[in-house]
Amino acid sequence: MNSTWSRREFLQKASAATMAALAAGMPTAGLLSSCGKNKIKSKADTVILLWMAGGMAHTDTFDPKKYTPFEKGMQANSVLSTFKSLPTALDGISFSEGLQSIGSVMNLGTIIRSYVAADLGHILHSRHQYHWHTCYEPPQTVAAPHIGSWIAKELGPKNPVIPAFIDIGQRFTVGEAEELKAFHTAGFLGNEFGPFFIPDPSTGLESVKPPVGMSYERFERRNQLYNELISKSPVGEFGSDYQKESLRRSMEQAYMLLNSPEAKAFDLSKEPKESYDKYNTGRFGLGCLLARRLTEQGARFISVTTEYEPFKGWDTHENGYTRLIDMKKQIDVPVAQLIKDLKETGHLDRTLVILASEFSRDMMVEGRPGAKVKEQVDQPDVIHELKHYGMHRHFTDGCSILMFGGGIKQGFIYGKTSDERPCKTVEKQIKIDRIHQTLYHALGIAEDTNYVVEERPFYTTPDGKGVAEMELFA
Amino acid sequence: MSELLPFAGETLLVAEFWLWQFLGRLHPLTVHFPIGILVIALVLELYSLRKKNRELRGGIHLLLLIGAISAIAAVLFGLLLKTQDQYSGNVLTIHQWSGIATALLALATAILHGHIIRKNNIHLFKTYRTILIFTVISVTVAGHYGASLTHGSDFLTSVLPWNNDGFNSDFDIAQFTAGEGKPALDASQAADLNLEVRSIFAHNCYKCHSSEKMKGELRLDKKVFVMKGGESGPVITPGHPDESEMIRRLELPRDDEESMPPKGKTLKEKEIATLKFWIQMGAPWPENADEKTVYRVAKLEPRMPALPRAQQDLQNPVDLFVDAYFKENKITWPEVVDDRIYIRRVHLDIIGLLPIPEKVDAFVKDNDPDKRGKLVRELLDRNDDYAQHWLTFWNDALRNDYSGTGYITGGRFAITDWLYESLKVNKPYDVFVRELISPDKRSEGFIKGIEWRGAVNASQRVEMQAAQNVSQVFLGLNLKCASCHDSFVSDWTLKQAYAFANIFSDTALEINRCDVPTGTMAGTGIIFSELGTIDSTATVDDKLEQLAEYLTAPKNGRLYRTIVNRIWSRLMGRGIVAPVDLMDNVPWSQDLLDWLASDFVQNGNDLKNLIFTIATSKAYQLPSVEIKSEEKVLADDYTFKGMHRRKLSAEQFADAVSFVIYPVYHDTLKVFDPFKKSKPIVSTPQVRAALVKNDRFLTALGRPNRENVLTERASEANLLQALELTNGDLFNSALESGARKWKSQYKTSEEIILSVYEKALSREPEPDEMKIALDRLGSTPNEDDIEDFLWAVMLLPEFQLIY
Repeated sequence: MNSTWSRREFLQKASAATMAALAAGMPTAGLLSSCGKNKIKSKADTVILLWMAGGMAHTDTFDPKKYTPFEKGMQANSVLSTFKSLPTALDGISFSEGLQSIGSVMNLGTIIRSYVAADLGHILHSRHQYHWHTCYEPPQTVAAPHIGSWIAKELGPKNPVIPAFIDIGQRFTVGEAEELKAFHTAGFLGNEFGPFFIPDPSTGLESVKPPVGMSYERFERRNQLYNELISKSPVGEFGSDYQKESLRRSMEQAYMLLNSPEAKAFDLSKEPKESYDKYNTGRFGLGCLLARRLTEQGARFISVTTEYEPFKGWDTHENGYTRLIDMKKQIDVPVAQLIKDLKETGHLDRTLVILASEFSRDMMVEGRPGAKVKEQVDQPDVIHELKHYGMHRHFTDGCSILMFGGGIKQGFIYGKTSDERPCKTVEKQIKIDRIHQTLYHALGIAEDTNYVVEERPFYTTPDGKGVAEMELFA
Repeated sequence: MSELLPFAGETLLVAEFWLWQFLGRLHPLTVHFPIGILVIALVLELYSLRKKNRELRGGIHLLLLIGAISAIAAVLFGLLLKTQDQYSGNVLTIHQWSGIATALLALATAILHGHIIRKNNIHLFKTYRTILIFTVISVTVAGHYGASLTHGSDFLTSVLPWNNDGFNSDFDIAQFTAGEGKPALDASQAADLNLEVRSIFAHNCYKCHSSEKMKGELRLDKKVFVMKGGESGPVITPGHPDESEMIRRLELPRDDEESMPPKGKTLKEKEIATLKFWIQMGAPWPENADEKTVYRVAKLEPRMPALPRAQQDLQNPVDLFVDAYFKENKITWPEVVDDRIYIRRVHLDIIGLLPIPEKVDAFVKDNDPDKRGKLVRELLDRNDDYAQHWLTFWNDALRNDYSGTGYITGGRFAITDWLYESLKVNKPYDVFVRELISPDKRSEGFIKGIEWRGAVNASQRVEMQAAQNVSQVFLGLNLKCASCHDSFVSDWTLKQAYAFANIFSDTALEINRCDVPTGTMAGTGIIFSELGTIDSTATVDDKLEQLAEYLTAPKNGRLYRTIVNRIWSRLMGRGIVAPVDLMDNVPWSQDLLDWLASDFVQNGNDLKNLIFTIATSKAYQLPSVEIKSEEKVLADDYTFKGMHRRKLSAEQFADAVSFVIYPVYHDTLKVFDPFKKSKPIVSTPQVRAALVKNDRFLTALGRPNRENVLTERASEANLLQALELTNGDLFNSALESGARKWKSQYKTSEEIILSVYEKALSREPEPDEMKIALDRLGSTPNEDDIEDFLWAVMLLPEFQLIY
């Protein structure tokens, strides 16, 4: 089939921009029509979300307080930080020990120290994560879309052969999987804008190449056979039915993706060893590497998660101190390297990297001061064993977020938490709708963007009330 | 003033300076010069062309100069204007660039013409005239789009008699104004006029001026607020439309800051005339008027329309109504589809499976004139196959699944056992509904809802979920808006929603408005109070029993219209009312809908009988209809011409692959076993996809997270789905195993090709297809080639569509 070959050649020669223009002209699916009139000039084309799943304690990471080393018989209430504070690239700003690499690139980004999570009562991680990722508290009367799906819907793929919303590291094989699935979805926007999952970054290529065991040559012939059979099928009499058209169009897109030079970006083995090793701290680190490679090829929204597993990762119900040593090792170098690499290649200008968690943790307070919720962690008042030394309760009143690139200020500190317990937000409290709208603003998506679903307008942030925090932008 | 160029960067600074604002607003004034002058220049030029008249040269030149200068000025003012108001969109882009083009072309024309006059360079005349023509075309385009920006894109076309889209009513103030002298309204006329006025408000103004949003502190949804006005004073002056702020704002040019509505369509002239007339008549607003609806509400009671006279070839009552509809819409009956298409269609629609080839052949050869009816009856009698197919539809609608949110904290209950059995025994629909609303342990999952740990928004407490879901699924009614605040899209109020939710609650719920407690209570009652009174002091169980009784009473025609419409939509691809969850929308045939519902009740609420009636109708047997875009399905001008082509559901596709090639799901993946108590009556060799947990493959093909009620799945294919079908594990391993099986079962390529086509497409391959496949498979096919051939056939639109 001539047409397939010419399409392939065309694809290989065409610039990403041309293809994006072509993709933009493709009929889009769905009955939804966007409303919203304000136009914003975008500062970023791509967002990378580095997700610290499970609740990352601000006082033991990016907002350290007074170091209170472990001693047998110490009062739990006296513990503020379980690590030393070390200086960062920013004057007067310290990070908790183990995050020096990220500290060294803080001159390129902003730290927000005043994120306040919602008060959702008795804590369920997945519920807060749902809220963080969709901006809506579950349950909802209609299926709320993930922020990545909103972005995919509004902006489409940046490079048409790279799915607009890529989710790296999420496997859904562990506890609360169903709750996690409930927000890893495009919701009412439709499957088309849902996440493209790469559960394991080291096998990312498998998602975008012919089935295991099939050569590209055979893959090509298989596709050719398909096209020939279609052209001879009496189905032709169905004319240009939209169902049929959408089937054919989607198959062509899949074929394009699997055959495109960009697919190599998914292949981590193509990365020089030195660089690969820097990132290789485990699945999360390699996820950062994959995110970088995909960003370079024109990804739109990528989420890389440390993956939420109850009582594992950042979800420290005990052994907080020792577990955090490990978690910091996982994230420190890869995150810093990601920023450095993006900076070096110039991609950081138009890529917004955000690192966040659903809430923070504290030694004493479950929930927030003034609105404590049902206890879930057994934490003695006097600590005799190391395993009780750490931030083991869920804390919603102060949490750190990092942002880099995409028009975000460099070397900027936003907000403040108290230095004494409760280490809650005392300046410039910022909530999820503001965070979301800040990301949307960077991408040029207006705050009144909404779709009418089941007769109601559904906005990117509840009631379209999210306002971008302009102070964060340079 | 750091920024002057409106094109560059932040434009806010520009907007704030008064002079730029002033100059910007000169744009609408200045644009008319180039339009007029350039057109006259062209007219004179054409005139001189005919008459060879040289006397006009000087005049034309002057016109061209003024035209060019004014065009440039208009462009500059226009660019300034753009920075001040939030203009955007395609229309603006076209207007802007055609305007700029006009200015440049006009300048070029003027310069060229000057050159011609001075140097007497006659051979440039042709070029000059061509450019002049383009200039005028360009100014016309710019002018047209400019007008669209200012007056709305339908400014011109909306007055055309055939372009009356949008909210429309037959209301005509002429009925009041006809006759001599100043009319006086009687009470009923005043009420009608008021209702019309409120409809206009509701459709054009409520978005910003009602209980939810009160822009400018103005509300237009209640008499007291309308009379009071907004922050800048009263909006109407009864008796004096000309002094009324509302009318002034409505009649302002679209680019005026104070023009209303600020975005979207302007009011139609007729609507403004109605408002003016209403104000002139003293703005009548009868005291009880607010109770009268402005939205269409479908009639509740059942209705049995008389059957149209029977025709020779039409016996099925469905066809008699469709025939009447066709006549009205000047549609002639097409020929019905052939046996192969029909047998495939009914198999997929009734039991969700493909027909076996032997059966297809036998059916085609059968000479019995009633063979189609017999086939449908036979399929409906395959109770397990039927139940496993319809399980998917009801699982979506009742948001029942084997896994999902809520189970983890004990906040959700599955009803699969009950549901499967109900479908298998074809439980009468009224009993089915009664058991879901007034449930026992096996069926309580539906109204129990999904409970998440922690504090939940008031509009999502489980009692409210029950109210919303019962309304949506059984009544085709959207109560979701009203469960947070009085609805803007219907007459349902917050209070009614709470009264309905209270039926499901053991203690009366305090009304929360947008999640804020109001300190008020709502009482207890059904949304349609005429159906009966709920005893608010009774236990929940008793209240639910009463509710179930009232909702399923034959006089609740809405319940039955809703279900027959859903079944019609399943089989036809679109409801008689669409979308199927909005039963207040206008049906394309009220008679057909009413008859189906009444007949359904008269025949004992028998779903299978309903399906039989539809599937044996000629209307169902018509060739499938091509739809160019999904929008057309719900468009106002929709006309029924036959069933729509539909994509196989995730479950149908998986089952079809299992049937043709190799089981996609192994027995171990079955999470619900319908045969644990009894032997299956009709056994299918594979595990059907409805019985397994949702997975990546099924999700990609459209099986939803069953977190919300879903009664219609999205039907378009997409990239994620195509990727799953191209390199997904599950599908490819079925293909691989299938290839092995086929290789061992058949000797020749011809046999394989023939058999695959017969099983997958219920037909033999065309000679061309046979040739292509043979070219590929060769005489002794290897497994890889067979696998690739199987893949290609599974992905043919012909395989993936119900047609």
